[in-house]
Amino acid sequence: MRGTFLWRRRVVLTSGILLLWALHMLSAGLAPGARAAKPSLALLWLLKPVLTIEADIADDTTGFIHDYFDLVNVRQENLRLKEQVAELEGQRTRLAELEVETRHLSELLELRKVLAMQAVAARVIGADATELSRTLILSQGSNGGLRRDMAVISTAGVVGKLIAVAPNASRVLLINDHNSGLDAFDQRSRARGIVAGLLNGDLTMKYVDRTEDVKPGDSVVTSGMDGIFPRGLLVGQITRVSQEGPGLFLNIEFRPAADFRKLEQVLILTQKPPQLAPDIKG
Amino acid sequence: MRLVALYAIATLVALALETTIPHWLPIGVLMPNLVLILVVDLGMKHHGAISALLAFGMGYAIDSFSGTHLGLNAFMLTLTYVIAYALSRYLISTSTAIGVILVFVGATLTGLANSVGGTGFEASSGAIGMLPGLALRAASSALFTPWVFALMGSSKRAIGLRPRPVRE
Repeated sequence: MRGTFLWRRRVVLTSGILLLWALHMLSAGLAPGARAAKPSLALLWLLKPVLTIEADIADDTTGFIHDYFDLVNVRQENLRLKEQVAELEGQRTRLAELEVETRHLSELLELRKVLAMQAVAARVIGADATELSRTLILSQGSNGGLRRDMAVISTAGVVGKLIAVAPNASRVLLINDHNSGLDAFDQRSRARGIVAGLLNGDLTMKYVDRTEDVKPGDSVVTSGMDGIFPRGLLVGQITRVSQEGPGLFLNIEFRPAADFRKLEQVLILTQKPPQLAPDIKG
Repeated sequence: MRLVALYAIATLVALALETTIPHWLPIGVLMPNLVLILVVDLGMKHHGAISALLAFGMGYAIDSFSGTHLGLNAFMLTLTYVIAYALSRYLISTSTAIGVILVFVGATLTGLANSVGGTGFEASSGAIGMLPGLALRAASSALFTPWVFALMGSSKRAIGLRPRPVRE
């Protein structure tokens, strides 16, 4: 066996087969629930406890790190005083952290009441592994009633939609990822378009006719037409409108309302929004 | 079996760090691609069908925690494994310096594939604009390579994994 052609070329042959399999997975796109997508959910489930512990540690330590930098100049004046201040600062940070968390949760609760929809609160416990796509890992999964394609929002505005749901964790595709698409309209002019992500982390609104009166500073809100997000949720504020290029549509750029880097708690809408008639122009 | 267990645990630890640290600390592109470093280590020092499967599995694990295209990182990391394997056999060397270069090239190519694959080919010109960021992340990964190699080397010695000669 060891001297045969197949044995001598086993690494190349195995790698070749695996490369073809990876290409097949890519080209097939693997529909939700496909067999090959199941192990990825199992991995998410397996790693969730580790991510939760890390998030707990990070919550406790980031405050200390920032406090440390603030106190560098004070250290030279009085070491003993600095130690006391650091100790008090540590206590204050913990209390402030608790206060912020409580405030976030009560704001989410308030938002849930305003929306009058069933929703589940979840904690952000991780980010995208490559930093090249824009996804977040949440602390709730199918055990909490979550399913794929559910809307994820924060008190600031729309966050994204669920793309993978394990029993105890899930992944959300942020609205500023290039693969994301969201039906929205300009609140002032009522011009409708599709919101997608740009490489720099901002958003663009596609397919808005050049004749539309869209201006910087306008708010973009969800239309409720995509069957995922309820109507009227804030998506962002327009920063740039131009008519460059030969196309039929406006080039619209805007900032997302939610700061995805600072997200700690989010709300997942477990109830589908009511279907609307297409009364918005565009 | 020990090899599989060691790299599986190392991958899980690397993934846990890669998914958590960038969210809590503003290091952005400076976060090294730890799993890629592990794959290069595997490709240079362990030649076999199991190792190739491991590299594929490690890429698949990244796919589970990143982006929307299942198979993209599995493809890129298997390719990186093959290149590391071929280069270490051709040069008859498992030198860390070669590993550092391989990690830099591998991280740049993987980042580029992720950008182009993730954004769609219509935006490939925009992805070119991301090259400085990708190069920075690749440099950061290359910088961490000697430490990860040393850590894996001592872990292998601790569990009694003997390094094999490059030519079998």
